[in-house]
Amino acid sequence: MSRQQHREELIKFLRSIQRRDSAIKEVDDSQSLVESGLIDSLAALQIVSYLEEAYKIDFGDNAIDPGDLRTVGTILDIIERVTTS
Amino acid sequence: MTIKACQSAFRSVSQFHENERLIGWLKSRPPVLYFTPERRRSILFFGAFAAGMIALFHRNAPWKAYVDPEIWLVPLINFPLFLGLIYLVYLAAKRFRKLPAAIRRRPHLPLHLLFWAAMTVLWLTPSDAGLWRQALVLFTVSLPYLLWRLGYLILSGQRGKAAASRFRDHLIYLWPLWGGTNTPFGKGLDYLSRCEAKTPEAYARSVLAGTKLLLLVLLWEAAKLVMGAAIYGDPKNPLLSQWGGYSLAIPRLKYVAADNSLASLPVTWLSLYLELIWETLDVAANGHGFIGGLRLFGFNVFRNTYKPLLAESTIDYWSRYYYYFKELMFELFFFPTYLRYFKAYPKFRMFASVFAAAFVGNMYYHVLREKNGLAAGQFRRLWRRLGPRIWYCLIFALGIFISMLHQQKREGKTETANTAREKLSKLGRIAWVWTYFGLLNVWSSAVSLPVAGRVRFFFSLFGLR
Repeated sequence: MSRQQHREELIKFLRSIQRRDSAIKEVDDSQSLVESGLIDSLAALQIVSYLEEAYKIDFGDNAIDPGDLRTVGTILDIIERVTTS
Repeated sequence: MTIKACQSAFRSVSQFHENERLIGWLKSRPPVLYFTPERRRSILFFGAFAAGMIALFHRNAPWKAYVDPEIWLVPLINFPLFLGLIYLVYLAAKRFRKLPAAIRRRPHLPLHLLFWAAMTVLWLTPSDAGLWRQALVLFTVSLPYLLWRLGYLILSGQRGKAAASRFRDHLIYLWPLWGGTNTPFGKGLDYLSRCEAKTPEAYARSVLAGTKLLLLVLLWEAAKLVMGAAIYGDPKNPLLSQWGGYSLAIPRLKYVAADNSLASLPVTWLSLYLELIWETLDVAANGHGFIGGLRLFGFNVFRNTYKPLLAESTIDYWSRYYYYFKELMFELFFFPTYLRYFKAYPKFRMFASVFAAAFVGNMYYHVLREKNGLAAGQFRRLWRRLGPRIWYCLIFALGIFISMLHQQKREGKTETANTAREKLSKLGRIAWVWTYFGLLNVWSSAVSLPVAGRVRFFFSLFGLR
């Protein structure tokens, strides 16, 4: 899958957990998801579960920086790193 | 002048740090242009040596005791020891992948084992064993301050981010010139670098944001002063005599908890809520001082305290009340547990992670804070101090877990407050948070009060004696 396809899947997932009062239409790759109000801070855990399930990523041994889950771009970097290694 | 105009004027004054004209003016001033990120980091690097040295001397003995050469020796021996330890941890973080698998899996453990090994040596040796023991005492009681900060360094290695970093950059948050407690305000280098102002404009914004926080320190300290005189009638408060000794004379929670005959039930409840406001002002003033300093150095990081009294849930309050402590517990206890255990049981996974952070981590943090009592082997005194804390952490962890479950159930939906009913409902949620954390303070105020006394006081709040 290309980065663009990963991105589409990720956005679809983020839309499913986004705050219902969020009026954001477009998500920029460098935009902070929590600060922009798209998702709340608890969503970091939902994103981890999504990455574990969709990409079979085991974070057990490779610690993840919660800060890396802050934007679409950084989440895509994680996916890319894991799927290419 | 209309209310709207007043509001607008207040906003433009209180939000001066976001004023684009002011930012535009400041970004071209010589100091802002001179203090480039590299220069600011250099100041912090050299400042770290001074901060580290002063901290060791200060912790070793009162300043007036430095007439005896042997007292000088103790911190002078410790300084290179700590520098060596920091460098070793830096090398371990830098070459994290080459570390043995057992250490890679639990990279924080060796550091904490070092602390407990040093503590054990202190317990097993007589207090007059000589200079080496004095040096070891200072080493051991100084270590908790660094342990959590070194935790961020090793975490950076574990996340593969330390490989390209410089030793000098890590030193700036290990012995920070902006001060702090055992809690690392500003976390580690990864977070600081993310928030660092790279351009004159970003630096101007950071300086203004820092200045605002430092002004808020003055405001909250003044509010505490007024509260101490007008509400508590603290005889040591200089304001009290200024206005003729008038005060509501409401007793502080620690006094009512120790002797609940001091106040009627309504006044006791009032004391409970006032304590929450006092504690919030205190934490906000302290945290704003540290974060204000950080921002002046160009690290435009989050505030430690951000309007916690407006929080509508327990989890939200924790995040707003003491952000960097929450982050420490989250990154060192919650997240590792969440990523590693009980993946097949989502609710239990959450429960275990919350308890790892809010109960185990929180409790352990407070045990390390009692480093002087530990080093002196005053176990009975420690039990008296820490016994109630166990209950505090337990009730706290349960509250956080329930709050997280509730938040998950809402699937991220935020309650709006447009109608009168919604506004009332919002007020109700805020009142619940105040009550929960007010009651939680029963387990942390009055350090010398035993658990049984606190239980009696807790039930007396509901008329049960």
